[in-house]
Amino acid sequence: MRKRGLKFYMSIYRKILIQDLKSKMSYRADFIISTIGMIMTNLSGFVTFMILFHNFPTINGWDYYHMLFLYGFSLVALTPVQCFFDNNWNLRFMVQSGDFIKYCFRPVNVFFYFMSEVFDVKGLGQLAFGIGTIVYAWIKIGIPVTPLVILKLIVFLFTASLFMIALMNFAAATCFWIKNSGYVMVIMFRFKDFAKYPSSIFEGIFKVIFTFLIPIAFIAYYPSLVILSPDNVPVLSWISPLFGLIFFYLSYKFWMLGVRKYDFTGS
Amino acid sequence: MNPKRLLALTRAGIMESLYFRLGIFVTLFANLIYLVLVYYLWKAIYASSGTDVVNGMTFTDTMIYLILATAIFNFLEMFVVWDMSRSIQSGKIVLDLLKPMRYRKYTFWSYTGNHVVQFFLTFVPTFIVVMIVTHGAIKFGLNIIWFLVATVFALIINYNIEMLVAPICLFTESTWGINIVKETIVLLLSGATIPLAFFPEKIRMIVQYLPFRAVYDIPLSILLGKSGSDTWDGLLKLFGLQIVWLIVLTVAGNIFWNCAVKKITVNGG
Repeated sequence: MRKRGLKFYMSIYRKILIQDLKSKMSYRADFIISTIGMIMTNLSGFVTFMILFHNFPTINGWDYYHMLFLYGFSLVALTPVQCFFDNNWNLRFMVQSGDFIKYCFRPVNVFFYFMSEVFDVKGLGQLAFGIGTIVYAWIKIGIPVTPLVILKLIVFLFTASLFMIALMNFAAATCFWIKNSGYVMVIMFRFKDFAKYPSSIFEGIFKVIFTFLIPIAFIAYYPSLVILSPDNVPVLSWISPLFGLIFFYLSYKFWMLGVRKYDFTGS
Repeated sequence: MNPKRLLALTRAGIMESLYFRLGIFVTLFANLIYLVLVYYLWKAIYASSGTDVVNGMTFTDTMIYLILATAIFNFLEMFVVWDMSRSIQSGKIVLDLLKPMRYRKYTFWSYTGNHVVQFFLTFVPTFIVVMIVTHGAIKFGLNIIWFLVATVFALIINYNIEMLVAPICLFTESTWGINIVKETIVLLLSGATIPLAFFPEKIRMIVQYLPFRAVYDIPLSILLGKSGSDTWDGLLKLFGLQIVWLIVLTVAGNIFWNCAVKKITVNGG
């Protein structure tokens, strides 16, 4: 097969996206309620924070505004997985019912085609909420605004988002091997709730597990340190972009391995 | 109604859940990881506060409370909202409505099997691990029995909340949205995310009387001997609240379901 460039895939993505949005528009009530639901989950996270800081002045040396920054950072970093990779949630139904086979017959990358089918609009509400939180915390902490800092923020937000995407890819792809893999996804998805706390709270073996095995420390903590404490950035923060790319690549390979295995069962 | 028929549904549910054994082990495993996360998070929080007791809760109390809240969440979890909307879309709901048993009753009893399996295979092991980690901080006495009674009430209240929310899907064609709104409200206001004892005084006064508290906070408070549950007077108050909400929600759910069922339109079912 001829190698297709980025441009080809972009144009296909645009076409599929428009179809998806058209079909979503026919369920307007669903769209509105889902957006409200999304904002409510974010608000509930915010309320949890308020209640925590109502009782405790700091958490592990992090004050209210630094924690808010971390929270906003995690929300923005979790937006791409919500917006672009939401179809992972449907994977196990498709695999079980056999509908998945249709993706294998198209002359485009299976992973790309599968993910492009759904664009989750309600993730944008989370993005707005997250940006608002970051800006608010940014002003309160008084971090200087320079082009370099903004650039760093964007690069490391991108980095952070890779980890959650990779985690969900791994979780979703388990459905090629085990039945009822919904549990795995729900659990992975719940771990993200801990991304908003500083990972310095972990000790010993669990520090290793939550850094390298289930990398929730990279969803917000390590990347955001580049902005929050520019004088004292740990090495792990600097190598997180590389680490994120590797992790994403591995999850992609795992996902595709599942697809290959699915082909062979010939269901 | 012949109890044998109801128990047959429970048995079928047990067999169905046991078929998905792997899911149960994954849930249990996740609970243990969750235990680790909660442990370190709250250890850090308590370490920064400088005192051992905050709002009448020690670190151990908070940890037991939150972990068992998650364990209760797992075993109470019902997918009524999803099941109902899926069976409306596929048209299967017509078959359920034609069964010689009230739909609400049928749904409830077919879930009981799952509850039983989840209780013994996820809640009890989690409970044992919590006991080991905290060196037996949970007192064993009458409170265990009261806790079990309160949990049964909580199960019925939770089911009624589900049955109040699920028919909304009939009107809105939205499942994910409705479900996430319900889950967020229940988890926050029931104390499953953060113990109710930490809520600011004024908000707690209101939240105290809402039905959500009856699902997680009341059974856990009884188990830990908090909220005055160590006296007969306080215990009666907590059970009273549960029973009042149980009756109110059952009646409301019945009325709402009877109205909603007339609205069902099944496309080509």
